[in-house]
Amino acid sequence: MADLNDGRVDLRRSPGRFIAFSLLAVLVLLALGGRLFQLQVVNGEVYAGRAAADRTAEVPVPAPRGLIFDRDRRPIAVSIPSWTVKVRPADLPEDDLARVMARVAELTGTDRATLERRLDAFSGSPFDLVPIERGVGREAALLIGEEAQDLPGVVIAVEPIRQYLDETGKVGGPLLSHVVGYTGPINRDELEALEVDGYLRDDVIGKAGVEASFEEALRGTYGTQLVERDASGRQLKVVETVREPTAGNNIMLTIDADIQRLATEALTWGMDVADVSQGVTVVMNPQTGEILAMVSLPAYDNNKFAGGISSEDFSVYLADPDRPLRNHAISDIYPPGSTYKLVTGIAAMEEGVTTPDRQWPTYGCYQIPGAPRGECLYDWNRQGFGPLAMVDAFAKSSDTFFYQMAIQTGIDPLAAWARELGFGQLSGIRLPSEEEGIIASTDWARQQGRSGVFTGEVAQAGIGQNVIAVTPLQMLNAYAAVANGGNLMRPMIALGETDASGELIETYEPEVVHEVAAADATLQTMRVGAREVITSGHAYNIRDLDLPGALSGKTGTAEFGELTDEGTLPFHSWFVAYLPSAAGATDADLAIVSFNYSAVVPGNVSAEVVKYFLQLYYDLDTDLRLDPNDFSLLTAN
Amino acid sequence: MGVATATIVESVRGRDWRQFDLQLFLYVLLLIGFGVVMGYSAGFNDPGAGSGMSEMVKTLIWATIGLTLFFVVASVDYGWLRMLAGPIYVAVLGLLALTMLIGTNLFGAQMSVTVAGLDFQFSEVSKVLMIGVLAAYLASRRERIGRLSTILVAGALMALPAFLVFRQPDLGTALVFIGILIGMLFLSGASLGWMGLLAAGIIGSAPIVVGILQDYQRQRLFCFLDPSADPQGACFQLIQALNAVGSGGWLGRGLTVGGEGQRGYIPVQSTDFIFTVVAEDLGFVGGIVVLLLFGLLVWRILLIGWQARDAFGMMVAVGLASMILFQVLVNIGMVIGVMPVTGIPLPFVTYGGSSLISLLFGMGILQSIRMRAHKPTL
Repeated sequence: MADLNDGRVDLRRSPGRFIAFSLLAVLVLLALGGRLFQLQVVNGEVYAGRAAADRTAEVPVPAPRGLIFDRDRRPIAVSIPSWTVKVRPADLPEDDLARVMARVAELTGTDRATLERRLDAFSGSPFDLVPIERGVGREAALLIGEEAQDLPGVVIAVEPIRQYLDETGKVGGPLLSHVVGYTGPINRDELEALEVDGYLRDDVIGKAGVEASFEEALRGTYGTQLVERDASGRQLKVVETVREPTAGNNIMLTIDADIQRLATEALTWGMDVADVSQGVTVVMNPQTGEILAMVSLPAYDNNKFAGGISSEDFSVYLADPDRPLRNHAISDIYPPGSTYKLVTGIAAMEEGVTTPDRQWPTYGCYQIPGAPRGECLYDWNRQGFGPLAMVDAFAKSSDTFFYQMAIQTGIDPLAAWARELGFGQLSGIRLPSEEEGIIASTDWARQQGRSGVFTGEVAQAGIGQNVIAVTPLQMLNAYAAVANGGNLMRPMIALGETDASGELIETYEPEVVHEVAAADATLQTMRVGAREVITSGHAYNIRDLDLPGALSGKTGTAEFGELTDEGTLPFHSWFVAYLPSAAGATDADLAIVSFNYSAVVPGNVSAEVVKYFLQLYYDLDTDLRLDPNDFSLLTAN
Repeated sequence: MGVATATIVESVRGRDWRQFDLQLFLYVLLLIGFGVVMGYSAGFNDPGAGSGMSEMVKTLIWATIGLTLFFVVASVDYGWLRMLAGPIYVAVLGLLALTMLIGTNLFGAQMSVTVAGLDFQFSEVSKVLMIGVLAAYLASRRERIGRLSTILVAGALMALPAFLVFRQPDLGTALVFIGILIGMLFLSGASLGWMGLLAAGIIGSAPIVVGILQDYQRQRLFCFLDPSADPQGACFQLIQALNAVGSGGWLGRGLTVGGEGQRGYIPVQSTDFIFTVVAEDLGFVGGIVVLLLFGLLVWRILLIGWQARDAFGMMVAVGLASMILFQVLVNIGMVIGVMPVTGIPLPFVTYGGSSLISLLFGMGILQSIRMRAHKPTL
């Protein structure tokens, strides 16, 4: 207690040390102040710049995707607002992942494994937003929004997705799915290739059809915004818009959705009655190459893809043996059968093998020169037709006539004329996944490891069997070239690009790939032959259609594939036709091809489909459709 | 009982409110005010804020409690602190040990005990209490102050709590203990020769200390030498702090406006890195004002110590001055990249109830010393 009243002398006070301490304090504060001056005043700009650079970032602003219209300005592909569930992995604790995903799965109706797979597949920064489910319903989106507190890291974003419409403006993807295609989330390979072009990790890209082939025009130009972000990457505010996004251009198709509907209806009917599994009908203006309708059945629903297709739906499509995801009109190749006699006829006349008038004997079975006696190739007409010249041989579709033409012409000139008519090469239509087909030639045989093409095969090539495979579009385009006087056109799928107001800002001009090198007389002979097919040939009652102009065409059948239970090969029928659609006109402006794969009934289903299509297209009163049992009246060849 | 009452009455009577150091009080209030405003500015754009009591409200509650304590302590003769030095020392050790055992986990360090819902960091209180303990010891040394044993015992007294705090782990507070020890020994008149020798020894053993540090402590510690060494990791905070301070310029970017985006980059901003907000929002001028306030505060405290009626009062004052100066140096030095990054709060300004209450308690003692100095000079 004594110390309580200690005097001030209990401890010596050292003024020196107090002064020294005070000086030290002053020194410390001066040093700090000096450093502060250096940081803020001398180098302030440098640090301010660094700070600004740290917290601002240029982020892309997606441009509205261009729309797709038919030639009548009907919207076919539009963008509608949709809700997307996104996850910022950094905000979603690992041990909460299972619960949150289960709840999101419950609310969206997607299975949890799918959601987690999409989250896992993402390779960006954990601060990026990963879209895990697009096209979420309004109800689910609102619920997820309400439960935001319990769903850490889950964000609902409004994003446009595609909606595909039919000719009436209703949601109806299958009508034009093979033409229009669909968009989908960009995948890793696409991103790798396109990142330099400004594609984003969570971007959407055209995957099929026009959506893919016109991706550049439809996408537009993304803008750029300078945004301020906090350390975790959350966007706080937009500092400035560096570049406004430019909306993608609208694409106007050459397709008329009404004609597409009629073609679909006709083909669907034919496939139904003949129990056909795959069918194609393509309608074109042979003068310009504009595709008016392109139907490939079975179709798929591209609206299922717009919001990211579920793996179940996708595997159903993939497992379907009729391959609904493929556009059979351009992506699959089939033996053309008798329709190919167009090529053989032109080649034979142009190579000097025959003249339009020269008659050749025909046979029930043609003995192949050089082959052992008895090895002959049958005509479809086992009796033979007697002597025939080109027009009649084409109209009657004599196989033995064209065996002789092919053998006399030789495989390589035959192949050259096939190429002249557009076979064995891409037509150049602006759609993805087009096939070239197979045209037998010596080179082709060598690629197979053989010295050349056997004479029997040459004969078969002459009637479009065995060593020849073409796409339905190539077939249509070849007949269109003959019909229009010899211009091999590049088939067009789009008329041009319009701006947002629908004004055409870029018109795609019809493009002649080349002029077919055949003489006018040669082409005229084939046109006469094609006309004869309808009038006196075996296309049966098609001649009775009350059409505005003269119809010309050719049937074809190829028998290939697996034997049926009855021990016969399935019938694959072709019919290709063209006509002027105005009375008195001579220039054909409508060309149609139909191909039906694997019919169980004999006879030419395709001719029936074209007949029905013409009835619908010209709104004819008389229904000339045959009963399926009578299809054989239309001889297959 | 009667004696005790009489003592208290006497001790209360002994005061002279005319001697109340208004300047000291004013600087303290200004610094607390700075803290409140800066905390508000820092939290202004924090999307996480808004739930529960805001830091500002909490700070005001703490300040009210602290100021009450301040006046109570000021009105009582500070002699009790010296009298109870022994038990206080035992209590400090006990509480620090307790904190280690039951402390809640805050940023990976057991630094606080939750009492009635409010986190309380005993390490903060222990600093002020240890000043009292050390002052009592040094005051008792009188003529033997120059001996080596004085330094050794004082060092040992300080080493125990410093070690406990270091193990929490709270390297910063442990360093503050050392700063206080050196400052008090120096001003008590301890042998400079022995101190220098010991200091040389300590510096010599620094590599050992660095060796026993946790990796993250070591990394943070050496960032200031070369912040670009690990810009994404340990030095991220320092780089961001430098950017924030630098972008303040002469006059700053304005309250709550300053570097909205920058905010999130500096974690624990309203605590240890609060000076970045001052510097960014109020610029060089604001920073200098804060430094000036601290300078004036330390000046007033030293003056009170010089004028104290006894050695104990003087030692308490110089202890507090040492503590504040040391913390200002290390905290602001850290933010502006001249000191290693350690978790030391900026006195009065940093948000934190325990720190604020402890400091106001210390200021109360100072006022008590001031009002009982019999010989006012200057």
